[in-house]
Amino acid sequence: MAIAKAERLMNLALCLRGASRPLSKRELRGSIEAYIEAGGEEAFNRMFERDKDDLRELGMVIETVESLDGDTGYIARPDSNRLPPLSLDPAEAAALGLAAKVWQQVRLAGAAGAALQKLRAGGMPETADAEAPFSALEPRIPAGEASFEPLMIACRDRRPVLFEYRKANAARSTPRVVEPWALECWRGHWYLAGWDRGRDDQRVFRLSRITGKVRSRGGDFTAPVPDRVTVRESVAAWAGEHATGQARIRLRTGSGYPLRARATSLVEGSDGWDELELPHGHGLGAWLAEFGPDLVVLEPAELRADVVDRLRAVAKG
Amino acid sequence: MAVNAIDRTRRLLSLVTYLRDRPGARVDEVARAFGVTSDELISDLQVLPMCGTSFRGGDLLDIDTDGERIWWYNAEAVGDDSGRPLRLAADEATALLVAARAVATLPGLRDSDRDALLRATAKLEAAAGETAAASSRLSVTFESEGGVFADIDRAIAERRRVRIRYYSPGRDQLTDREIDPIRLFAVGHTYVEAWCRRSEARRTFRLDRVTSIEVLDTPAEPPPVEPRDLSAGLVQPAAGDPQVVIEVGPAGRWVAEYYPHDTAEELADGGLRITLRTADPTTLRRLALRLGGDGRIVSPPALADSAREAAREALAAYGG
Repeated sequence: MAIAKAERLMNLALCLRGASRPLSKRELRGSIEAYIEAGGEEAFNRMFERDKDDLRELGMVIETVESLDGDTGYIARPDSNRLPPLSLDPAEAAALGLAAKVWQQVRLAGAAGAALQKLRAGGMPETADAEAPFSALEPRIPAGEASFEPLMIACRDRRPVLFEYRKANAARSTPRVVEPWALECWRGHWYLAGWDRGRDDQRVFRLSRITGKVRSRGGDFTAPVPDRVTVRESVAAWAGEHATGQARIRLRTGSGYPLRARATSLVEGSDGWDELELPHGHGLGAWLAEFGPDLVVLEPAELRADVVDRLRAVAKG
Repeated sequence: MAVNAIDRTRRLLSLVTYLRDRPGARVDEVARAFGVTSDELISDLQVLPMCGTSFRGGDLLDIDTDGERIWWYNAEAVGDDSGRPLRLAADEATALLVAARAVATLPGLRDSDRDALLRATAKLEAAAGETAAASSRLSVTFESEGGVFADIDRAIAERRRVRIRYYSPGRDQLTDREIDPIRLFAVGHTYVEAWCRRSEARRTFRLDRVTSIEVLDTPAEPPPVEPRDLSAGLVQPAAGDPQVVIEVGPAGRWVAEYYPHDTAEELADGGLRITLRTADPTTLRRLALRLGGDGRIVSPPALADSAREAAREALAAYGG
């Protein structure tokens, strides 16, 4: 089945690219075997429309031209379909070779490979793996979430989507209608930024919290798309990367290295404990509780209370 | 990877362009350039003679192979335009550009490599034209420690041993060890896979947890080991590792996002019952303390006890 369809698409592509004038549907139907055998007019039309969409997905620009006698003609003009000449040296070729290996998501891995094939067909030098730079570096972009691909396409085509979303601390998911702007991967997790129609505001969603299917909605975007979408800054703020104050703690000597690395001041004590000042942001209490009996919060009082609450819950449990 | 008709058409179109410029091309070389096996290529070559611009009167592609070389007897059949590769599709431009930009931002990358990436990206953007626009809707940042990255990169290139001080969050401990680096990889954060001389085993170290580093004059001598297969995820518990069961409320659901687990059953209150395996369950005591009232260790009981004990001891400092 895959071969028969590939063969049909190839024939259509070669006809459209090789034509010196727009070809009518009738001419195309008469020259491609699979179309001759397609059966009724309606079945052929459906097949033809789908095939044109598929070729556009491959990058082909197919123009529709109305002729004087009312017939529609199709052509893929050379100047809009050719890959412009681009000369890449071996180091640049190796760089793109590395970039093509980065995607773990099937669709993008396939697209990156296909781009390399076009570039190689256009004369990009081939690099032997052994002499390539980057030999010891292997970057990987994960994208295991089922919602990734439909959201990527929706961002590309600027189409609103509907999905069920469960916030980090929510017992149940709620439906969201979103105008998707951009996807960003930070620290190995994917986030979507967009306009949440129900909340009438911009929001950032974590893909792993989308439950069920992403469905496309018809119609256009209603809110303006900002010039620069900043997913990372919103997530960083939420993750407590932005300090809102200072905290003072006591830390057992030798423990809590990452806290020491962040400390704005550190006084070593002689009683086996050191005193530190730290930037205080969202989520610090949970982190400090991890250090258990090696750490005591001095101030602020609400941070102290937060840590005590957590410890009490564990002590009771 | 599944071969669908669109991907195959993509490849066939590029193949036509490629073969047109290279009469008598070798099967193995073409297969390598296209990232397919020789068998897959031969099967493509069997499809091509069924294709052509037949509206001109039956001009099918006369392409043939003896299994070693590929011959095309009527390359003029496709017209000049099919001799140039097709422009990049939006997804193709996006896939390469986003990945190249992401790698170029890795702190510590060699300058020559970064320059090559940036030059290639600029050329690709120019060639893709407006097709490249959609690539700005996808972005990836890798986190890395520039200085540590550059030192490990150099040690790998020069095959030298490295001494590091490393922080293990599970034990809240710094340890000094000598490692023979094997490779660097980035999945969100950047890691070095190495042979650890202290544990005489293969270990993976996250670069932002390396607190100091020194490249030694001693040559690295890692035993021959198969690089880990990263596609299955970074943390791959062994079948024999002890099992841990954790119950979390709605506010503790993030645990399932961060910890690779065997199962996560939904609970009636919107929480989860998570079963995972780990080589050293004591490292999860910290997780129990962090969760507070948002979750608890169900088993093993000794781990639950030690979390309770640690919490009581910590509370003593607050006067009860």
